[in-house]
Amino acid sequence: MQPRKVERSAKFVTTGFRIGGNYVKHYSKKLFNPDLNRDELNEDNATDIYNSLSQLKGSALKIAQMLSMDKNILPKAYVNKFTQSQYNAPPLSGPLIIRTFTKSFGKSPEEIFDSFNPASVQAASIGQVHEATLRGKKLAVKVQYPGVGDSISSDLRLVKPFAFRLLNMSEKELNIYIKEVEERLLEETDYNLEVRRSMEISKACGKLKNVVFPKYYPKLSSNKIITMDWMEGLHLKEFLATNPSQELKNKIGQALWDFYNFQQHELRAVHADPHPGNFLITPDEKLAVIDFGCIKELPEDFYNPFFALVAPGLMNDKGATINAFRQLQMIFPDDDKKKIEFYYKWYKEMVSLFSLPYRGKTFDFSELKFFEDLYAYGEKITRMPEFKQPRGVKHFIYVNRTNFGLYTLLNELNATVRTDTFPPHVSTI
Amino acid sequence: MANADQIKKSYIDYVLTHGEAPKSVYNFAKKLKISEADFYEFYSSFAAIEKAVWEDMTMETLAKIRDQEVWSKYSAREKMLSFFYSYIEVLKTQRSFIIYSLKKHPKRLTTPDILTGVKMLFLDFAEEIINEGLDSGELANRKFFSKKYKDALWLQFGFIINFWTDDDSAAFEKTDEAIEKGINVTFDLFQRSPIDNLFEYGKFLTRNGKFKEKMGI
Repeated sequence: MQPRKVERSAKFVTTGFRIGGNYVKHYSKKLFNPDLNRDELNEDNATDIYNSLSQLKGSALKIAQMLSMDKNILPKAYVNKFTQSQYNAPPLSGPLIIRTFTKSFGKSPEEIFDSFNPASVQAASIGQVHEATLRGKKLAVKVQYPGVGDSISSDLRLVKPFAFRLLNMSEKELNIYIKEVEERLLEETDYNLEVRRSMEISKACGKLKNVVFPKYYPKLSSNKIITMDWMEGLHLKEFLATNPSQELKNKIGQALWDFYNFQQHELRAVHADPHPGNFLITPDEKLAVIDFGCIKELPEDFYNPFFALVAPGLMNDKGATINAFRQLQMIFPDDDKKKIEFYYKWYKEMVSLFSLPYRGKTFDFSELKFFEDLYAYGEKITRMPEFKQPRGVKHFIYVNRTNFGLYTLLNELNATVRTDTFPPHVSTI
Repeated sequence: MANADQIKKSYIDYVLTHGEAPKSVYNFAKKLKISEADFYEFYSSFAAIEKAVWEDMTMETLAKIRDQEVWSKYSAREKMLSFFYSYIEVLKTQRSFIIYSLKKHPKRLTTPDILTGVKMLFLDFAEEIINEGLDSGELANRKFFSKKYKDALWLQFGFIINFWTDDDSAAFEKTDEAIEKGINVTFDLFQRSPIDNLFEYGKFLTRNGKFKEKMGI
């Protein structure tokens, strides 16, 4: 009775065959040309996976987005393809939108709003956005696809083998991380929760300079529908196409930096979905944040050791650094001396790279070398057998995604920002 | 003196309370304090009541959807989707009875007797919107096959109703998915597709490709 699941399984099976084929192609070419690197293979695989993912909806699309954010883990070829999946998904039919409204409010959208455009203006991975007006106010109404929550677990099961193949990691060891992803994805389907959090966080961030939030309307929202103010503005790409001044780019970049670091260090809960579609640059030169689906809370036992590493000083103390790595499960209790040295060296390099922006008072994110170093480091460790086994507590997934996402956005803006506005607060460990 | 509506309501109440039909019309009439003759004035049998319940709900749905402001703006596809969403909503008010009346009939390929009236209503409706779709060019006119479109929709009808009776998801969300995907796929097939072009091309080749001469036939 679940045609959907079967359909999707079939989709993944064909993808599986194709990827298998790509490997065959790769290795047969390699027989004749030993210098061939994996770029072409990666490109082929990414294309096929992308093609099949783009025909799916809901969480698979979300996973594609998620992978595309993790530029640090994925080779560039995957990233380029996956970035495309952040947009476009087949829209809901008009009657189903009406049905969703009547289920939530007992009224059709026409009865609730003064006007409601049944054609959606944008797909939002697990839902779509409509334009409406009420008493002269322009509103954005997000409607969720039916069955999204239900299909997430099965989607993850389907996508797992491919995700593992992509990351060259074994399935068993990654389950704890997959679980973390599943939890966040399921939270995202709860629109009541999203409205509540959006209101809380936008209130808490209300004093930040140059950051604005839409007003949310809980009475016009339900578990499947969110109504908020329509925000006028440009997406990052469009904004950059207008050739903004360096000063303006720095201003927006600073707003982004403050928004994320205020949340991480003051709220200890962070908007963990820094993909460009979630932001607008308003005509009065402010950063508008329009999606709070994914919030990652940072528990004390993660926050402290992790940001202690970022804070200056600690890394000079080898014993304390190793201690922090142990608390973060980057070094396991049963690692022998040689292993401890090995992981200490590599993780130290990673953290030093990551925390570079925090080192001084300002940081220039147009600095290509910084990103090249990050990618180079990422590619280097994905080739090392020692890193086949995943390490690090599960919280890293979203915290890395958030911070690398932030860095990438700032890089696209070519912004120079003050990085000491909201510094980490760590108690000594 | 009872009227048709009261008899219908009492009957539904009876079968849902007892899990089975009354032993006889005599027995049932006695409970209602009416004569058997009064009963026959409105219904010829218990099956006739069940049939009427289904028909009433279907007519109620049809009236409701046509009453919507957007109705005239809908495409054929949207009209069919709208029908099913509204139908499920109406059926929900009598879900126990629906399940009772469907489960009583073993699943067969033929339409159960109680649905014969509904089938006529539905096929009329389907034909009407299919013709609209054919006229507007939304659907592909495929001579022989276009006449079968409505039968394909009747199959969807059966599938969706069955799916709904087994659906245990909150707010029957899965049924919404079944409708959205099922009806969209069906209408995709009704539209002009690459297969049509392939077929046309094949026809053209057999007429002009001089295959026969080349093959030496």
